[in-house]
Amino acid sequence: MMKDEDVDELLRRRRYESAFGLLLVRYQEKVFRLAFSIVRDAGRAEEATQDIFLKLWKALPFYDGRAALSTWLYTIARNTCYSTYRRESIRTTVPVEGLAEPSRHETLSQHAEIKQLLERLPRVQREVITLFYLEDQSIQDVAQMLDLPQGTVKSHLHRARRALAEMMRA
Amino acid sequence: MDCRDAQQKLLESFESTLPADGKRELERHLAACPNCAEFGELLNKIDVHFKEEIIAPRLSPGFRAALQARIDRQPHRLWTHWLPDAAYLAGSGAALLCCVLLLPFSASSVVWVGTVIAAAGYSLQTLLVSSLEEL
Repeated sequence: MMKDEDVDELLRRRRYESAFGLLLVRYQEKVFRLAFSIVRDAGRAEEATQDIFLKLWKALPFYDGRAALSTWLYTIARNTCYSTYRRESIRTTVPVEGLAEPSRHETLSQHAEIKQLLERLPRVQREVITLFYLEDQSIQDVAQMLDLPQGTVKSHLHRARRALAEMMRA
Repeated sequence: MDCRDAQQKLLESFESTLPADGKRELERHLAACPNCAEFGELLNKIDVHFKEEIIAPRLSPGFRAALQARIDRQPHRLWTHWLPDAAYLAGSGAALLCCVLLLPFSASSVVWVGTVIAAAGYSLQTLLVSSLEEL
């Protein structure tokens, strides 16, 4: 977990631009990946990331310090993604931008099958498993970004893997 | 170890390393149970797939500039952080000027006393605001 005492101090001194600059440097990629795990499209995730940081810019003077800055920022990020993109009912296929070409030792159909099966998982399991691999398999990071206990992240991962394996068996 | 335990251990093995004795017990079970062995192979295949396929996309090079442009288009805050201090200073100056003009004392005494009162008031106000922010 990142320590943001320096940003807290800047906010106490009402130096919002400096605080915002530090938060942008530290969190833009993480927020982008969180948005990507929810909206599942790199272009839309980038738009969402802009919306999120714009909201953050407007909200910084009202930060009350009750939650850690990162927790507060991730909450803004999740709420922005859910409220904006739920209404749009976007197709939740894994986008081309986020995917590598299939490896040589697996067939295209196997990759396509797993991709399709992933789309059949409940939203939270899909988000957890995507974020788990985006965040270098760190349960701690995923838990923080989705505001879930680490045990809950693990149980979503287990359910997702079990469901995928059972769907592949069927 | 039964199938349920074995499958649980298989799922856990993707997040943390199993202890040596647990691993040996799991391997023995997998050697004897084709059902769990198949489950393990599928989990491995899924893990390899995600490791290869879920690649973090990068923000475009124009991200910062686009965000800055959107921030610049925002209307400026009417209540900037220094406005209360400026208002206090202006109010104190106006009150001091009125006192100098209206009170039957020498201007230098009025300015001196007024400045002390204004400074004390400002300090008290700052103290009060920061203690409220601490709550």
